[in-house]
Amino acid sequence: MTPLCSRGAVGGKRATLFIGVALLLVVVIAVGVCIGETSIHPRIVFATISNKLFATDFPVAPIQAGIVWNYRLPRIMVAASCGAILAVCGAVLQALLRNTLADPYLLGISSGASAGAVSVLVLGLGAGLLSLSVGAFVGAIVAFGLVTLLARAAGGGVGMQATSLIILAGIAGSQLFNALTSFIIARSANAEQARSVMFWLMGNMSGVRWPDVGLAVPVAITGILACVWHMRALDAFTFGADSAASLGVPVRRVQVVLIATTSLMTAAMVSIVGAIGFVGLVIPHAARFIVGVRHARLLPATALTGAVFLVASDVVSRIVIPNQVLPIGVITALVGAPGFAVILLRARRMR
Amino acid sequence: MTISRLALATASLGLLTIAAAAEPTEYPLTVQNCGQELTFNSPPERVVTIGQSGTEMLYALGLSEKVVGTAVWFNEVLPQFGEQNSRVERLADNHPSFESVVAKEPELVTTQFEGHVGAQGSVGTREQFNDLGVNVYAMPADCVGKDNLVGGDGTRKTAFQIETVYQAIRELSTIFDVQDRGAELEAELRGRVEAASAKAKALNLKDASAVVWFSSPDIDLDPFVAGQKGIPAFILSQLGIRNIIESDEEWPSVGWERIAQADPDIIIIARMDRRRFEADDYEVKLKFLKDDPVTSEMTAVKEGRLVVVDAHAIHASIRIADGIEVISEALAKAGLPNR
Repeated sequence: MTPLCSRGAVGGKRATLFIGVALLLVVVIAVGVCIGETSIHPRIVFATISNKLFATDFPVAPIQAGIVWNYRLPRIMVAASCGAILAVCGAVLQALLRNTLADPYLLGISSGASAGAVSVLVLGLGAGLLSLSVGAFVGAIVAFGLVTLLARAAGGGVGMQATSLIILAGIAGSQLFNALTSFIIARSANAEQARSVMFWLMGNMSGVRWPDVGLAVPVAITGILACVWHMRALDAFTFGADSAASLGVPVRRVQVVLIATTSLMTAAMVSIVGAIGFVGLVIPHAARFIVGVRHARLLPATALTGAVFLVASDVVSRIVIPNQVLPIGVITALVGAPGFAVILLRARRMR
Repeated sequence: MTISRLALATASLGLLTIAAAAEPTEYPLTVQNCGQELTFNSPPERVVTIGQSGTEMLYALGLSEKVVGTAVWFNEVLPQFGEQNSRVERLADNHPSFESVVAKEPELVTTQFEGHVGAQGSVGTREQFNDLGVNVYAMPADCVGKDNLVGGDGTRKTAFQIETVYQAIRELSTIFDVQDRGAELEAELRGRVEAASAKAKALNLKDASAVVWFSSPDIDLDPFVAGQKGIPAFILSQLGIRNIIESDEEWPSVGWERIAQADPDIIIIARMDRRRFEADDYEVKLKFLKDDPVTSEMTAVKEGRLVVVDAHAIHASIRIADGIEVISEALAKAGLPNR
């Protein structure tokens, strides 16, 4: 980071960092599979995984094997995908909108998801046939659609004005859907329903199974690749949409593609695990602090850090209070907020 | 042998109670109820029941003509009350609005769950009803030793006692001046509960364990199961079965990982007509247990020891006897190892 260092040395350091974070991800995943609500010996955990992957024949009790393979492993893979997605979406939106406070829920996605989930759970929309996830996904997409329509109708063309219009429309949309959620809960929910909704919305991984992995992992890979594909445009956007346009970036198209991509990815995640906060806001800043602002490095670093962070948070959420699983969103906020403060303070010292 | 002798003993006890309680009620009558004092100048003529337990208790006391509205139903009404019930308006399947209750101009409102009329009453607070001159009788089963402001459905400080159900029968029959019928009902229930419990205990089961699954907010999510101090826990202990759940909440949400690891001998599943969650349907629950790669490996699922019981029969109501009988019956057929 310091100008005294030669470029090569800095590059080497960063490569080491990358490998370090990737190794950390592997370690965190291994720890995550071994730790759960109940204790299962690591030997059994690895025997199970080896049985499944390499068709070995270690003796393992079927229930314990099932817990490791069908509950814990999918949960961790979804946590990793979700962390990577939220963090990358945050990084992309922060660059695109030139706003350090941008996060994946900026465009009303989490409030739309809440309203959708509440409609299913409290109003009984779909008469027991629609699941919470479908309700949340539909709500998120409706909210996002309304917000972008509003931004467009308000004259969102190219330039600074357009980005602030998107942010303002997002705030308006979020408020509207939050109000709707409060209205439905105040009007017709009982304590049990309100608790279920709130618990779920703060992030709940307890229902994650292999089919969710089948959704989360492909979404993460394609979505993040789509963002990486636009890394040069994102670099240009950091200097503002006008500068990006003058650098030959097709501003309108890139904006539409990236906003749609990040929103769809976020909506898919919210529908699986609820709206987990703070990852999309804090992790990009942390990653920027480590690898700098160039998106070629920033996006992979953000994805890896986000994955590590969410897997670790999930482990903590399961063990911090005995006999009770906390919503993962509580952990990300509790760890994320002070972590963010530390980053801010250290960044100031660096300047 | 033991069973019939016990039944005989309880029956004679019941007869004694009838003889003792047969005096008519003197009005004005004061009743202590969940920290409140209720005063009646005459037997109430119009009652709205929020909660099936009160509804069926009044029907069983022969008071169906005084019931002018019902709400909060888990299961269909007991068949023997079908005709009476068809004459009474059902204000709501779940909780009714305050206005729909008071529009019936009741003199008395009974509630099964204190949460409907407590400090954060979702229907209305006691004070709101009292201001309109309506007495509120909350079932003692849901307020004695229970804090309804903690946890999703309240948290019990002391374990549920079936005596609170008998207490409700006695108090309501006194309020309505039908003590004879009340004493009969109490004696009948006591006899059935004792007989079913004795039958289960005679099996001499060796550390049999169970979990009671009420519902789940979403089928894959952590289910709501019976805590260690609630009504289902009482039923289990009455039958000599251990509840694998160790939480004081009424219906805590506990992960499948924990339940599967505990691997209970029996899984008890609630059947209800409510369709708030997908998993309210007992067939959805059964399907989950058989399809999920982990729960399908549980002993109870493999051995087919899944007991379906009416949700209302594992609540504090006159149907608790049915619940105990159904589970006791299932235990007898389960073929669990005995001591």
